Amino acid sequence: MTSSEPKAKKSGGGGSEAAEDGDWSWALVGALFVSTSLVFGLMRSLGVFFVEFVQYFEASAQAISWISSTGLAAQQFFSPLGAALCNAYDTRVVVMTGGVLAALGFILASQATCLVHLYLTMGLTSGFGWGLVFTPMVATVVANVTRRRTLALGLGFSSIGIVSFVFNPLFQFLVETYGWRGALLILGGLSLNIVACGALIRPKPRSKAPEKVDSEKSSSSSSLLRRLSSYLELPLLLERPYLTYTAAVTLLNVGYFVPYFHLVAHSRQVGFSEYEAAFVMSAAGASDILGRVASGWFSDLGHFRLIHLLSLWTALAGLFIMLLPISSLSGSYSMLVVISLLYGFCSGALTSLVFAVVPMIVGVERVMGAIGLLQLIESGAGLLGTPLSGLLKDVTGTYTASFLVAGGFVVLGTLAMTTLPHYFSCSDPPAPRRRSHRDKDKSLHLELEQINCAPPDPSHGGGQ
Amino acid sequence: MKLLWAVSALLLSCLRANASTAPNIIAEPSEVANQTAAILSCNLTGSSLPIKGSHWTHNGKIIDSSMSEESTPFTTLRLDKITHHSSGKYECVFMTEPEGKQTIEVKILPHVSTHKNSEHGNENDEAKLVCDSHGYPLPTDWSWSKEVDGRKTPIINGTSDKYEIKSTPNKTTLIINNLSINEDIGDYICFGTNELGTTFNTIHLRVRSRLAALWPFLGIVAEVIILVAIIFIYEKRRKPDEITDDDDSGSAPLKSNSNDNHKDKNVRQRNSN
Repeated sequence: MTSSEPKAKKSGGGGSEAAEDGDWSWALVGALFVSTSLVFGLMRSLGVFFVEFVQYFEASAQAISWISSTGLAAQQFFSPLGAALCNAYDTRVVVMTGGVLAALGFILASQATCLVHLYLTMGLTSGFGWGLVFTPMVATVVANVTRRRTLALGLGFSSIGIVSFVFNPLFQFLVETYGWRGALLILGGLSLNIVACGALIRPKPRSKAPEKVDSEKSSSSSSLLRRLSSYLELPLLLERPYLTYTAAVTLLNVGYFVPYFHLVAHSRQVGFSEYEAAFVMSAAGASDILGRVASGWFSDLGHFRLIHLLSLWTALAGLFIMLLPISSLSGSYSMLVVISLLYGFCSGALTSLVFAVVPMIVGVERVMGAIGLLQLIESGAGLLGTPLSGLLKDVTGTYTASFLVAGGFVVLGTLAMTTLPHYFSCSDPPAPRRRSHRDKDKSLHLELEQINCAPPDPSHGGGQ
Repeated sequence: MKLLWAVSALLLSCLRANASTAPNIIAEPSEVANQTAAILSCNLTGSSLPIKGSHWTHNGKIIDSSMSEESTPFTTLRLDKITHHSSGKYECVFMTEPEGKQTIEVKILPHVSTHKNSEHGNENDEAKLVCDSHGYPLPTDWSWSKEVDGRKTPIINGTSDKYEIKSTPNKTTLIINNLSINEDIGDYICFGTNELGTTFNTIHLRVRSRLAALWPFLGIVAEVIILVAIIFIYEKRRKPDEITDDDDSGSAPLKSNSNDNHKDKNVRQRNSN
């Protein structure tokens, strides 16, 4: 038994939850905020550099865009590895290493002399670092913040939108003052702050370590494979609830990003000016931030099950995506803005919940590996969604088909979610635990069921 | 008999004279040079052929507003403000059989423009300064000078490895190799010359030092190191017993620890609610 055990117990038990979210938990949320902004916020604001790269390396815009595609793909691909390393070793060390790698990627990129260097440094190295950072940070917050879990995630993820307002002009300034090489060097320094975020994670020994050591002769290949598969949480892939949820999130991801890529172009095509189109995008971005925080706060009030709220937001988001081209058909600018605002709110709202639902399905202890695998599997959806929408636009000439198909995929994801076991019950099903903790589980399950079906009671706060 | 032959010969020559006379167009003025405004006019003379209409073209493209169906042998085009956009070759066209046209050239001084008034270059890298020109006629000569403290020194192509000038009629590029902060910062002037005269424009070149970004970078690294140190020290001070729990042997003290915390937290919870 280790110190993480009682902590897990506390997070399962209802009565002591309130105190769990103490100062350190909010420091963790702050760490999530900063690290998410330095991973995804940074990724989204690299456009300034791409303009410079096109000129300096005399390459096409498509060749340059591969840099960020590589980075994103590496982050998602290495997520399970990051999760496995955290299960095997210490989360703190993994995140700090990830931060160093991400920074190293940018520092090396500042010395690049050809495009391939950029793919290897800004793409692969930094992407690998990001993979070691994002999943562990999210899983740590999910595991350690219990009462206000969704709000914590919402606040953490709202950083992406907020920070992009700051990073875009900042990077423009850096590139102009120091040149793109100098600016990349400074970005490397900025990325080093992830190390400080990782330092905030308390080095709790994982409960997985003792289980693996039941055979001291761990050099035999079969036990090694078993260890590996349990670090990666591969058995999750055999569980129907997890597979269903992953499939639902993957379907969601196919359509989720389409408006981000095509909304501006679609607005221009319908006939609005550049500024009007850009404003639509900004409005959606602003309501996205609001949606993340608001949905986080509301979900934690405990009036509804998280999975129900998630289905609600995804269904609405899908609906609004489908309505986007239809609203602009009538030529009314205000309709387009309103639908974009609503879409932004719903899409932000669902991001807070996507990871918060995972512990309901797999149990808090397996959250690390579960999120890692989820990231990897859902990455395929992104690869499918954007080219598909581009293809539809090329074939039909307008974005209407792209948006309708994207919205359709999102709604499909919602439907997939409804096939989760116990979807239609008013209480959360007992979260599956590791077999060796069965005894502890029974009491936990009882507590869970008591909390979830009990009428909202202020003294219990938001029971999950 | 001889009279008949003479009359028919006269008639024949008259007919052929009529058929082969192309319309004579008088264009006024014949050329516009360096004026701010002008009125171009064409007068069709010496022809009794029917005129179905007339229009003007600018550099080969028909000016829609000048199209007219009237059969007057006179047409004018007003140019209220001649800029480099409106300079070029204008042609008045009369719709007769055959078509009658006359060209009037509207010439101005070269309009030399730069993409950016100030350019940045990196130390030891190269810098490309570009000037281009629109308007008619395009410059036949380009030249560059460097201005430092009011003194202008011309830059001549091919004298050193440092400077290279590539010019086409509508664009000139000055490439400065191996930038140095001491020598290459300053104003660079490009001169464009055509038959009417010379105009110029100025580009200010700034050279960024290679190491300029190093200081903010080191500053941020120092900040990260300090933050991490603070976090570690704070942790060591606050909960020294947790650091020693790296192995699994400490279950008993942990249990009691957690029980204490449990009680404390229950108390806290009741108080907060």
